[in-house]
Amino acid sequence: MARRLTADVVVIGGGSTGAGVVRDAAMRGFSAVLVDRSDLGQGTTGRFHGLLHSGGRYVVSDPGSASECASENAILSRIQAPAIERTGGLFVAVPGDDPDYGDRFLAGARATGVPAREISVREALRREPRLNPGIVRAIEVEDASVDGWQLVWGAVNSAKAYGAQVLTYHPVTNIEVADGAVRVVRCHDQRRDEDVLIECRFVLNCAGPWAGQITELTGLPPVPVVPGRGIMIAMNHRLVNTVVNRLIYPADGDILVPVHTVSVIGTTDVKESDPDHLPIPAAEVQQMLDAGEELIPGFRQARAVHAWAGSRPLIKDDRVASDDTRHMSRGMAVVDHLARDGVQGLLTIGGGKLTTYRLMAEHIVDAMCDQLGESRACRTASEEIPYDGDAKHYTITHRLADREADRLDDQIICECELMSRSMFTDLLDAQPLSTLDDLRRQLRLGMGPCQGGFCASRAAGVAVTEQAVDAERASGLLRLFLRNRWIGLWPILHGDQVRQTAIDHWIYSGTFDIEHLPEPAEEVVR
Amino acid sequence: MSKDEAKRLRERLNNELNRATLDHCVKCTICEQSCPVSAVTPLFSGPKFVGPQAERFRDGESVDHSVDYCSSCGTCSVVCPQGVKVAELNSLARAVMKAEHGIPVRDRLITQTTLMGRAMTPLAPVANAVLGNSAARRVMELAVGVAASAPMPTAHGQTLRGWLKKRPAPTKAPTRGPVIFFHGCAGAFFETEAAKAAIEVLEHLGFEVIVPEQGCCGLAEQSNGLFAQASDAVLKLVGQLRAPGTAAPVVSVAGSCGGMLKHEAHEILGLDDPDLADVGRRTRDISEFLMELYDAGELPTDFAPIPLRVPYHQPCQVRSQGMGMPAADLLRLIPELEVVESNAVCCGIAGTYGLKKEKYEIAQAVGKPLFDLVLELNEGLAACDTETCRWQIAKSTGVKTVHPIQLVHQAYGLGRLPGLG
Amino acid sequence: MSRDIVIGAGLAGLCAALRLAQAGRPVTLVAKGAGGLGLSQGTIDILGYAPDRVFAPLDAVRAVASDHPYSGIGPDAVAASAAWLRDELGPELLVGDPGVNLHLPTALGSIRPTCLAQPSMVEGAVVGGRRYVVVGVRQLKDFSPELVAGNLARTPAPDGGAIEAHPAWIDLPARPGEADASGLTYARALDDVAFADAFAAAVAAVAGECDVVLLPAVLGLRRLGVWRQVSARVGRPVAEVPLQPPSVPGIRLYEALLGRLRAAGVRHVQGSLVTGFQAKDGRLRSVTVAAAGGPRELAAAHVVYAPGGFESGALAVDSYGTIAERLFGLPLTASSSPDLVGPDFWAPHRLFQVGVRTDAAGRPVDGEAAVYANLYAAGGLIAGAERWREKSGDGIAVATAVRAADAIIGGAA
Repeated sequence: MARRLTADVVVIGGGSTGAGVVRDAAMRGFSAVLVDRSDLGQGTTGRFHGLLHSGGRYVVSDPGSASECASENAILSRIQAPAIERTGGLFVAVPGDDPDYGDRFLAGARATGVPAREISVREALRREPRLNPGIVRAIEVEDASVDGWQLVWGAVNSAKAYGAQVLTYHPVTNIEVADGAVRVVRCHDQRRDEDVLIECRFVLNCAGPWAGQITELTGLPPVPVVPGRGIMIAMNHRLVNTVVNRLIYPADGDILVPVHTVSVIGTTDVKESDPDHLPIPAAEVQQMLDAGEELIPGFRQARAVHAWAGSRPLIKDDRVASDDTRHMSRGMAVVDHLARDGVQGLLTIGGGKLTTYRLMAEHIVDAMCDQLGESRACRTASEEIPYDGDAKHYTITHRLADREADRLDDQIICECELMSRSMFTDLLDAQPLSTLDDLRRQLRLGMGPCQGGFCASRAAGVAVTEQAVDAERASGLLRLFLRNRWIGLWPILHGDQVRQTAIDHWIYSGTFDIEHLPEPAEEVVR
Repeated sequence: MSKDEAKRLRERLNNELNRATLDHCVKCTICEQSCPVSAVTPLFSGPKFVGPQAERFRDGESVDHSVDYCSSCGTCSVVCPQGVKVAELNSLARAVMKAEHGIPVRDRLITQTTLMGRAMTPLAPVANAVLGNSAARRVMELAVGVAASAPMPTAHGQTLRGWLKKRPAPTKAPTRGPVIFFHGCAGAFFETEAAKAAIEVLEHLGFEVIVPEQGCCGLAEQSNGLFAQASDAVLKLVGQLRAPGTAAPVVSVAGSCGGMLKHEAHEILGLDDPDLADVGRRTRDISEFLMELYDAGELPTDFAPIPLRVPYHQPCQVRSQGMGMPAADLLRLIPELEVVESNAVCCGIAGTYGLKKEKYEIAQAVGKPLFDLVLELNEGLAACDTETCRWQIAKSTGVKTVHPIQLVHQAYGLGRLPGLG
Repeated sequence: MSRDIVIGAGLAGLCAALRLAQAGRPVTLVAKGAGGLGLSQGTIDILGYAPDRVFAPLDAVRAVASDHPYSGIGPDAVAASAAWLRDELGPELLVGDPGVNLHLPTALGSIRPTCLAQPSMVEGAVVGGRRYVVVGVRQLKDFSPELVAGNLARTPAPDGGAIEAHPAWIDLPARPGEADASGLTYARALDDVAFADAFAAAVAAVAGECDVVLLPAVLGLRRLGVWRQVSARVGRPVAEVPLQPPSVPGIRLYEALLGRLRAAGVRHVQGSLVTGFQAKDGRLRSVTVAAAGGPRELAAAHVVYAPGGFESGALAVDSYGTIAERLFGLPLTASSSPDLVGPDFWAPHRLFQVGVRTDAAGRPVDGEAAVYANLYAAGGLIAGAERWREKSGDGIAVATAVRAADAIIGGAA
């Protein structure tokens, strides 16, 4: 017996696009349900470098995107301040870079309305002393860093406040089309192991790299999505406190972003076929380390803590060769299935970027309103999203200040990322079905140098003590967490992280003999 | 001191290899296991926390004031197997914080060691009366926050310079070449006996002992976060020690201050000065110097027996010089002298830490295992390489505490420690 | 004057230094920091899995592959070295029979084989039919009694029987006003007899019906009989369960061994990295120590190199994947890492079996020949075992340290 729901609109995909869309739709008074096959922000949104673009990156290559980024950067900084750190950004030319590109950059910035100002090399080096001392030009921009998960959770919580429902771990199994219109979205609640039927007027396919798979469920011709894989490496501490970009035409390995306690070097761009299997090839790791070395001498001796791969959800565009996804337009693409396939009530969205997620959502919901023949105004740009605590911009010192205040009264479970016991138990209480990874994305549990070595067992223990799970599930969750951390560890296993991995194994295998806990009947995967 | 100063320090930190060493931290807790302060109080969050852990969260304004409970003993860096410069990170973070938030008058006052010595010597009886007078101490505590029962130096009527001038010239001609003698402020003013013994031992061994005019090494200022003053002081001292114009070894009887010359001025103050590096390379603790002679077969060991059990404490800032425990090795060469190593991490005073009102009880708790051991095992004497630690041990146990060289001095028949048969 | 130089203050280095000093040789122990013993579980493993659970470790030692560190040593020498260490530390710190494994509960609730254990732990040995109460301390985050009890209760004992286990809590700050205390803080507090009494009373109040009370391994650091005091008060056996670092049982072993070797006259240089060496005619002449102020040359009669493996950086992988031994540039069993680690977290990681090979005396070899006539290796540096998986690190450390020391002593005599 399936559970039945009804809604005006079903949003498929809990990344930034889906989160923005569900918020926008709910704020315009639509009853909306967001479904995702796993947790929020687990796809592309959680697998980027953390950059909130100033637009600088695109002033030459893609002026339209540049202007959009500039205005959305300002809007998000206002409505989602706690998810954003105003780090500022620098574009720097290292020896060998085309020195004249800077002039084109400044001209492009003027033309696109992207705030930019050339500063002296000396001033750039004063601000960022670890920068390559040989840099020849430096341009200051308003880049910021952003926590994609905080962004998504903020938008989704806002949507919920407007009545939206959010169903995670609900993969879509079928989309029923009748009489030329979408009628029902069928999904499966994996945690309760039951089918869920959502009758609806409209479906917004915001599944990013998986959007092609979703359209296939409708029986319509597939939308050609080209996952453009990029790898990123998080370095153990902030080698810079400002976003540093290469002052060149956009290329691989040209961005270093200080986000939370780490700095992230990115990225590559390689065409893939399956967004569920994104490798982190050794050659690309080496490419990133070389790129880092050009920006920060000694980068290779700095500690890499974790690597990941994300895939850009680009919809195929015949104007560029399909194996060079970087030069596809970064603008969003909306496939109207009424126009394309004659099916009413279905839009598929591709492209776009996290910085413009709100604007994308506005366009998509506008398009839906057009098709429905309704006129409802978008209000997402003006209304601030409420976050717990104050509404100030994130600063790197926040958690240190918080723990300074409460460390005698609370326990610190994750020492690397200064996550307290009550932060963990509060979230566990609100989201009791979460895996440790689900909690990690919101709390940064296990994301520091030890990668869970000292905290994951504590977290599992607390979860049992709090009666959120039994010991068997806690042990399964712990195994899952360690397995998942390993995905991003083994490709960068060199330098200090080898020492750490050895220590972690001494603890989990050596002291705890974790591998000889009774084998789970079925490995915990969610 | 200002925001600018804080900014400058932070910029320096960001650009320093010391900060990069935080990458080596594997969170193993070894530094926490050895920290003498977090062992006795939860007010200090421990070296791993304030060091490599908190450093990842620092940019801009200081928010973790508990870093001030670090005593700068340096043990964390000594025990870290991974090469994290824990103490150095902590010191710089504290200096940044103090630059931002200001430094109490008290910290300035107690760091003026040379000034204090100069001012007190001519008036020693008066100074001692004032500092020894509990009412006056109480006023001082209220006024500037020096704990009323903390050990304060006792001034002597005669400075080392005065003694050098007045004593008869050495009768034996040097047979081994020159050494430059570094006595530290205490050796100059407060506690000249150790310095005199060291000079006489060196002369007995045939060295020509050159004692250049010398000021304070700045260690006390450094550990109170007064980096600018400390840098001025140590560089001035370096100039003075180089003044004789010889490449001879610099032999130090001031245990912890020798460490300032060897590494702390470079590692913590961030001074990259070739003259400092030169002096640092040449500096030897007196016991280290003698044990190098011993290992080379050049130290006479015709020691007279001293039938005594003596608790020996190696100060934290001597241990951090990474030379082992030469004083204990040296004392063990003296027949019938039973040396009991304290195995204590720190006596608590850590330079000037234990002088502060809000730190006094912590310092006493840190030192308690040491004091208990000294009280239990002493036969009238304890030994320790650093002046402030000797004052702390003596004040807290009532047991006379001498520099190890004073026992060597007696064993060579050059004098007799008062009260020892 | 040349001395025997031991590099490294882990179990292997401490054992080698002690053994040499006891033979009357002048020894200097040089270590960058405190050794890793304080991070360990504080028991002496010989061989726990091969790959199935081992009950008689010496039999399993006899059967190891030819490239295993135990292979050239043999069960008799392994047994003798473990017994030597046990007798050095005495029955207040280490008990057991090198021929028999104990199966002790862990802080995750798994059942871990080990060999020699501290007397405060042995009552925990898991036997079918036993009823446990697992007691946590609210202010100590590294031990969840629900997790331990829940996992024990679903795990068959090594003898095949079932185990009963229930959680309980006490709420007793080690220091007033501190909600987050480490195991070490508790151990120091429990060195105080009065606090230990209060602790024991609190445990007794929640122990309920059971055969054994399992407690986090925090029962005193310097005062070794605290577990007896607690057991007497609780009225039944108690057993310590080792925690993640800081590990109190490991620190006990470290401090005890350090005390023994200082008493034996070993010079201990701590906090200084050995950065270089001088060699002539195939022998090491000295090692260079980076002391404060500048390098110091320590003349070396022999060198026992016991710096650990990958966890200490003695074996290191650079950003290009090249594996190297840090100090002497010794030949390793593999020189490139990328093929030695893979995506399966649970699979053996061959990288961590890389190390030096030695001759029968424990000297690192290049091909068949010793690299230096007077350089010996001990402990984690030696290739051929993923120690944490096998539960073999301690036994290898002790056996190879004794092998190296005895070769030096025998050769010198």
